[in-house]
Amino acid sequence: MGETVSADHILETRGRHRALDAYVVAATFSRSGKSCAFALGDGTVAIDGGPEPTNNDSTADWARFPAHEGAILCMATDTTPEGWITGGDDGRFYRIKADGTVNLIAPFGMRWVENVASFTDGTKTHLVACSAGKRVVVYNAKDDELRVADHPSTVTGLVFDAKGKRFAASHYGGASVWFVGSKNGAPRKLEWKGSHTGVAMSPDGDNVVTAMQENALHGWRLSDNQHMRMSGYPTKPRALSFTKNGKWLATSGADSIVLWPFFGGGPMGKPPTELAGGDGVTCNLVACHPQSELVAAGFNDGLVVIADISSARILPITAPGHGAISALAWSPDGSHIAIGAENGFAAVIDLSKR
Amino acid sequence: MADATTPADQVPVTVLTGYLGAGKTTLLNRILSEHHGKKYAVVINEFGELGVDNDLVVDTDEEVFEMNNGCICCTVRGDLIRIVGGLMKRRDKFDGIIIETTGLANPAPVAQTFFVDDTVKAKTRLDAIVTVVDAKNLPARLADSAEAEEQIAFADVIVLNKTDLVTPEELDAVEAMVRKINKFARIHRSMKGDVPVTELLDQGAFDLARVLVHKPDFLDSDAHEHNDEVLSMSFEAEKPIDAERFNAWIGALLAEQGQNMLRTKGILAYEGEDRRFAFQAVHMIADGDFIGPWKDGEERTSRIVFIGRNLNRPQLRRGFESCQVA
Repeated sequence: MGETVSADHILETRGRHRALDAYVVAATFSRSGKSCAFALGDGTVAIDGGPEPTNNDSTADWARFPAHEGAILCMATDTTPEGWITGGDDGRFYRIKADGTVNLIAPFGMRWVENVASFTDGTKTHLVACSAGKRVVVYNAKDDELRVADHPSTVTGLVFDAKGKRFAASHYGGASVWFVGSKNGAPRKLEWKGSHTGVAMSPDGDNVVTAMQENALHGWRLSDNQHMRMSGYPTKPRALSFTKNGKWLATSGADSIVLWPFFGGGPMGKPPTELAGGDGVTCNLVACHPQSELVAAGFNDGLVVIADISSARILPITAPGHGAISALAWSPDGSHIAIGAENGFAAVIDLSKR
Repeated sequence: MADATTPADQVPVTVLTGYLGAGKTTLLNRILSEHHGKKYAVVINEFGELGVDNDLVVDTDEEVFEMNNGCICCTVRGDLIRIVGGLMKRRDKFDGIIIETTGLANPAPVAQTFFVDDTVKAKTRLDAIVTVVDAKNLPARLADSAEAEEQIAFADVIVLNKTDLVTPEELDAVEAMVRKINKFARIHRSMKGDVPVTELLDQGAFDLARVLVHKPDFLDSDAHEHNDEVLSMSFEAEKPIDAERFNAWIGALLAEQGQNMLRTKGILAYEGEDRRFAFQAVHMIADGDFIGPWKDGEERTSRIVFIGRNLNRPQLRRGFESCQVA
């Protein structure tokens, strides 16, 4: 990392950043990639509309809209080209448009809406879903309830598979995999004792991996019921992200990016690859590039790096000092990255060729 | 791990326990309606009722789960881990968190949550466990429920409520019953939860300093108590403590007898160390950290307190004394 002039060089030359004065819960680009929304702990959403035409001025405020009454807890891109879906501790599941319009998809009373997810193939299928307490509800393009799925305990993670055919929810005692289309079918229950706090599915849909309270991961290979145990983390792995080709599962929770190989018989019996480690600072979040074998990682001291998995080269994006990183996202084409921190620091960085 | 959080940023958490009908909700409403200029996030259980307006009320199902960490009695509240994580997103909106448990709840999982989870540990500190006790019905509750006894055993502060419903003699007898279980908690007598908020919140009670100014029970006999009643006992050591020896001893003790040890707390004078070391454990889950320095001229006496069942007084005494430097 020593050859750069300033560790903030990329941020300074290619980034737009703001102090949003609220905990950045999530950063998500719109499906078109034209704008990026930051979901905040004060219930508002800040939107960076891109460099043109008005946002060139680095001092101009990003558009800021009120949405939830309490904190926003989660955000995902909507199925529309310019919109987002959010869940909050006010028990509301909202759709937010780039112009600040807020539409209620569903209310959940006192229950926090803790997870949201979406899927679209761009033509026929448009799905949005959220979890509140033990319940997951999937909605169609008209926001009608398509599927209600109840679980034995509170849902802690929610993902669609890459085809939008199934979704997986993590909870105490394991995870449940449901078919979106079958109205009354029971889920496939993936059982493993303990508290599971998040879930990911591999791009081929064959592997379901959960993060666990006990500083470990647990995985199930659906095709042959193989269990996978991945442990050794000093803290809870909070982010799980598969590379586009499904070869690697990048995770946070250590003082490096921990990458488990999902090829050549792995991850069973294979040690993980560790990148960007050595500072003794916890990696809070990881996000794999939407196309290449690159992974972005945000650390607890504000450092954000991009690591090239095959060459192990590390590119620092922001230097330590910007606050504990709490949000990290790639644009759909992988040309931009968005960063948010607990102290309200937020940035969008253009990584495209110049 | 070089994390950015310093103890000053940690949100104080007060746990409010007490058997059904003891007056928890009355006390909670009193706390919230009093003009103390502070804002609290309140976590209530599914049966809770809140009479006053409060911006931050979280309604939760108590989800207790076992940890796969080798401790057979290690259970934590998964819902609290999520809720604390969520509340931290609007940290600037409140000064503290109050958690009300259900009347039948064993306090151990709540307390252990604050030792076990990294995020909860980094962002919050357990300020005090406040237990509300019904002066009239306590004898009956102690006779028919282990939870009532454990709620007293875990308490840092005990509100002996509904004193108007008993005679002065009965009240003294009930207080003696409470003292027998937990001689280290501070007791406040009240009629309708009328205890000043300053005596309940922001106590720093779990950080032990106040708890351990109580004189230890030198005069108690060394007879080995053979029963299932919860008792509390404390020991002192005049000479500095050898950290390695202490860790080996307390580690083995908690591993072997942690199920019976409800609360263990200590302030230790480690050899060659000017700061006080605060040690605490709930069942087998232990934690410790240096707190402020010893005062000039203060006697550097190490003290340890045990609250639990089947405590072997002479064995504990010998064990603790053997941790002193030779």
